[in-house]
Amino acid sequence: MIGWLIRSTLQMSTPLVLAALGGMYSERSGIVNIGLEGMMLIGAFGAVAATYYTNNPWLGLLAAVVAGGGLAAIHAIITVKLKGNHIVSGTGIILFAGGFTTLMLEVIWQARGVSDEVTRVPQIIIPWIQDVPILGEVFGSLSPIVYMMFLIVIASWFVMYKTPFGLRLRAAGEDPSTLDAAGVNVETIRIIGVILSGCLAGLGGAYLSIGFSSRFGKLMTSGRGFIALAALIFGNWTPVGCLLAGTFFGFLDGLQAFISLNVPSLLPYNNFIQMIPYILVVISLAIIRRSVPPKGVGRPYEKEHRT
Amino acid sequence: MIEEEVTAEHTDTEESWFTRLIMKVQTPEMKRNVYSTLVSIVLALLVAAGIMVFTGHDPLEAYGALFLGAILQFDKTLYNATPLVLAGLSVALAFKCGLFNIGAEGQLYMGSIVTTAVAYMISLPIVVHQVVCLTLGVLAGMAYGFLPGLLKAYRGAHEVVTTMMMSYASVLLTQWLVSQGPMHNPGDWRSITPVIFDSATLPKLFGSAFLNWGFFLAIGAVIFVEFLINRTALGYELRAVGANEEAARTAGINSKRNIALALGISGGLAGLAGSEEILGYYHRFYDGWSGGLGFDGVTVAVLGRNNPWGVLGGALFFGFLKAGGGNMQTFAGVPSEMVNVIQGLVVLFVAAPRLVDWLAKHGVGYAQVLKDNPRVGAPQFALLIYSIFSIVFSFLAFNVLSIINLLISLVALAYLYMRDEFGVWLAAITSIVWILLGVLTLAGVSIAFVSIMIGVVGLVLFVWYERVREANLNPMSQGGES
Repeated sequence: MIGWLIRSTLQMSTPLVLAALGGMYSERSGIVNIGLEGMMLIGAFGAVAATYYTNNPWLGLLAAVVAGGGLAAIHAIITVKLKGNHIVSGTGIILFAGGFTTLMLEVIWQARGVSDEVTRVPQIIIPWIQDVPILGEVFGSLSPIVYMMFLIVIASWFVMYKTPFGLRLRAAGEDPSTLDAAGVNVETIRIIGVILSGCLAGLGGAYLSIGFSSRFGKLMTSGRGFIALAALIFGNWTPVGCLLAGTFFGFLDGLQAFISLNVPSLLPYNNFIQMIPYILVVISLAIIRRSVPPKGVGRPYEKEHRT
Repeated sequence: MIEEEVTAEHTDTEESWFTRLIMKVQTPEMKRNVYSTLVSIVLALLVAAGIMVFTGHDPLEAYGALFLGAILQFDKTLYNATPLVLAGLSVALAFKCGLFNIGAEGQLYMGSIVTTAVAYMISLPIVVHQVVCLTLGVLAGMAYGFLPGLLKAYRGAHEVVTTMMMSYASVLLTQWLVSQGPMHNPGDWRSITPVIFDSATLPKLFGSAFLNWGFFLAIGAVIFVEFLINRTALGYELRAVGANEEAARTAGINSKRNIALALGISGGLAGLAGSEEILGYYHRFYDGWSGGLGFDGVTVAVLGRNNPWGVLGGALFFGFLKAGGGNMQTFAGVPSEMVNVIQGLVVLFVAAPRLVDWLAKHGVGYAQVLKDNPRVGAPQFALLIYSIFSIVFSFLAFNVLSIINLLISLVALAYLYMRDEFGVWLAAITSIVWILLGVLTLAGVSIAFVSIMIGVVGLVLFVWYERVREANLNPMSQGGES
């Protein structure tokens, strides 16, 4: 049971952590990205579409990353180059992604709800661990994307705090005029940050469609992009924070399935159990006192202004 | 203008309001806003047309069916617009105060479920019943918006996330209430409540199957919000907090209270939207009845630039789209989801007002060059047109290479429009790719032929451009212009 719980936590957290990390790259560079939900969705769709046509789930993953990054590029152009309102642009991204993917469901599979089944990303199976009591249930057969998530967290920590790029990214969000004075193009850094966020969110979405399940469903992200945003805030915009917060919310997500499976007497109240993650996000945001976002987030950088 | 103010005491209040309105509409800022919004809509429709072509539909047929469907069923257009006006006002009011009420959908559901409960559980005399239902619906929405407002004001909780979360929660709550909970219609296999009493319904207008008195509620709400925002002290405070919270606080305005209040009123408007839909059209609550009206409110508010009358205009536009969308599906085979795609595109284009400025600035420069120096300007313009053709062709060719070329052509178009050298090189690259596509393709002889021809044309244009440029750079043979 514990093993099952840990396993489902890992599974439910993966898309949240990946999207939260994506959000981190964007927001740390100074661009608010609430369109994570849309980028996840288009990643999920891209993965299924590409796998459907090429029968290769790895190409599907690549397509998801590209799709998410592409959508993010639009957000980047609007917010960085055209100095548009970040939140409005993010909302447009979500609306567009929702409409576009639902439209494509109709166009490609003539379906109104779910696509056809496609090949999943093959699980990584570790046969010798399967007999170990708890670990066996967790690691016996797990999607490679879950492992990727851990690697990306570690890599992100390294990139953010140990590389010049990470320093510039953080500077772009905290005090862009200083970065500009140092001769670095603030706009380019921000664009890269936003595109990265789309790529990671797309990967998170791909896990939902071809890592965990094997189809694309209409609007299948159902708010996970926003939960990822909450995880980002809860995790104070750091890679490790994203991992911990994302895992916490993933745990809540899995708990809901756990209760409906193991405590069937509560089944008529299933809706309330499903509500738990959402309510707890609100409560957790209420509890943590105004956490500190990057100082320059949300403000377009214009060279002519002196801050 | 000064004379007007001095003589204001002697003229009717209505007349000076009217004159002020006329003057406001004629300001360059208003003209720019309207112009910018129209361009955004056109651009969105163009991109949507591109997607239609990409998926094998005829955009002219589709837009024609859309237009006809909306005009012929104008009452449906107005009916669709009604909840959009209210939801749009909800979001717009919040925006004015610097808040983003993305969770209008949840407030809508809460308002509508409370209204439904009062409408079918209790029987009241005719006008009283409707007033009570609507009022309670508004209060429910207000409460549901007030909570995230409090959290934002006193705990700094990001209202985008909290309102979204509460929205999902409310969908689940109402779903339970009408399926397994106390509001379920006994014996019904659907997740639906009993029908409400006749005394609670809002009468229909003009014999329409859709349009009802809720429409007048919506108009009334527009006037109310406009009055609240622009004519009352509270509205002034809310706007001040939205413009600069710290400055407002220094001026003695209780920004925390105002933030909570703003989201509360916003929630109330969304609740009203839900209530009038139930009382005016649906006459009962069923699970998921609102197909995203809350989010539509966001698009309407954005399109209307958070101005109450703009919201009305935007709501009419989207009501128009929705009414025609069904027609578009039936007669042109374009799935009605395309309307959602157009919505998203409109929001994206409106989010970047500078896009219009950018277009105008470079367009004027371009026209200038064409006028002053046609020899240099002509090949540039030819390349610009070529890149547009390239984009269109890449939609029609529909394979991997053409998609790559689509992207390159789009970027080339942007640079060419800015008369940047880089665009010329990109256009040359697209020409080479077209030739490559033609040579490699197995997708039919005609496509290969056309592809090669297009590529050759491109290279010819490129050579022409280079020759003109080199001739220009030679100071001895020309007048030294560039």
